[in-house]
Amino acid sequence: MHPIEMAAIAVHQFADCITCHAWSPDQSMVALCPNNNEVHIYKLVEENWERIHVLQKHDQIIVGIDWSKSSNRIVTVSHDRNSYVWNEEGSLWVPTLVILRLNRAALCVQWSPKGNKFAVGSGAKTVCICYYEQENNWWVSKLIRKKHDSSVTSVAWHPNNVLIATTSTDGKCRVFSTFIKGVDAGKPKKSGSGSLDAKFGEQIVQLDLSFCWAFGVKWSPSGNSLAYVGHNSMIYFVDQIGPSPLAQSVVLRDLPLRDVMFVSEKLVIGVGFDCNPMVFAADGTGLWSFVRYLDGKKAASSSGRYGSQFTEAFGKFYGSSKQGTSNDKGRAGVHDNCINCIVPLKKSESTKLTSFSTSGLDGKMVIWDLKNQEDLL
Amino acid sequence: MGEHVEADNAEAIITRIEHKSRKIESLLKQYKPVEALKTALEGSPPKTRDERCKSANWIVVHSALMAIKDVDLMFSSLDPEYYDILMKYLYRGLSTGDRPTCDQCLRIHEKLTQRAGLGCILRALSDTVNTV
Repeated sequence: MHPIEMAAIAVHQFADCITCHAWSPDQSMVALCPNNNEVHIYKLVEENWERIHVLQKHDQIIVGIDWSKSSNRIVTVSHDRNSYVWNEEGSLWVPTLVILRLNRAALCVQWSPKGNKFAVGSGAKTVCICYYEQENNWWVSKLIRKKHDSSVTSVAWHPNNVLIATTSTDGKCRVFSTFIKGVDAGKPKKSGSGSLDAKFGEQIVQLDLSFCWAFGVKWSPSGNSLAYVGHNSMIYFVDQIGPSPLAQSVVLRDLPLRDVMFVSEKLVIGVGFDCNPMVFAADGTGLWSFVRYLDGKKAASSSGRYGSQFTEAFGKFYGSSKQGTSNDKGRAGVHDNCINCIVPLKKSESTKLTSFSTSGLDGKMVIWDLKNQEDLL
Repeated sequence: MGEHVEADNAEAIITRIEHKSRKIESLLKQYKPVEALKTALEGSPPKTRDERCKSANWIVVHSALMAIKDVDLMFSSLDPEYYDILMKYLYRGLSTGDRPTCDQCLRIHEKLTQRAGLGCILRALSDTVNTV
């Protein structure tokens, strides 16, 4: 086994458990929720993380945070069915309530690429598209009520700032238009045929690849492809989004993923219950496959080994003595509990993406860099 | 495996299963339990809602499973494409509570998990649509 350079370059234990995190535009600060109703903002001051702000407004656990690169605004969503947009005024973060009109928990949020809209997925089987109305000085929420049969677990904006992809516990991944007159340029055309200007709330594509809960959808940088995961230990890659998409299902050997991120058009990182980021790559013909785990001393999983946490249980379950199978996945790695959030760290628009951060139920945030992983880049 | 089955025609499905059952009996008589198992697993009707079809196929799969003596040998000639459907049937077997069936299913489950990984178990448990 050849020595692999560590991809994890920094680890910090911020709390007992982190639900989600987001970085400031210049990446000097990180906002995270320590599994409660607060947002903590930390700044790296001479090698030490210092907590500089605590944002308190929500009544229940915060499950989505996003920090806009263009406007520097923070948006938070919570199980309390509310969303706040936070503006930095001097040394304070001032919240503005956004009336989402939800009767169930909010589950996920993302700013659009231009920062003039944000999308919220909810347990009410709806997606809220929110935009700022100058005249009234408030954020308006427009609901996409149709199509979802169950909770919307994640949302992702296409680079064009109009299309949005969603995943749901009904197993499906869908793409909708969020065209809003006065906010988006152009005119909506009569009927959608994958066109950029379909009417608000119109479904462009529905992907029926999974028969169980789906999570973690993301678009590739160009917007031509997307990826999402199923709770059945599968990851789905879809190219040529439109009337006849090309879908691939990749079977995972181990535990399911929770979130994914495109490093480039051909490279995806998945994170989840194995506590160890998984690398997927597309070959020359566009065929996606699992490459390897990212963390430390892992070889590509090939032989028959049990997953980390269950080894002891299985040993007793079968009544046979465990052969001391070295499980060198999760336990020996940096994260020791489920990773549920992965965020890219891109220095500027022009540089290639090689760095990203992950956070999870173990309360740790880990920063990774791929530049030493020669086999991947 | 997983060839498209005439979804709504329960009678046709049951007839096919009966036909399969005779073939399997003959394979078992020839001491070819792995062939029998493959035949039983092929064309499993997960896309039908009809419980009779599912039960009919389970009976056939069960007879093949119980005939397996050497589990390692079985896996050396069973293609990975059968792993996920086999796992679903193992859980069905475990749910019967019948001692010999459970013993056998547990023995096979241990080896199948070693080969296929925990993901195979996840796929068997999380799919509430394509059940056996």
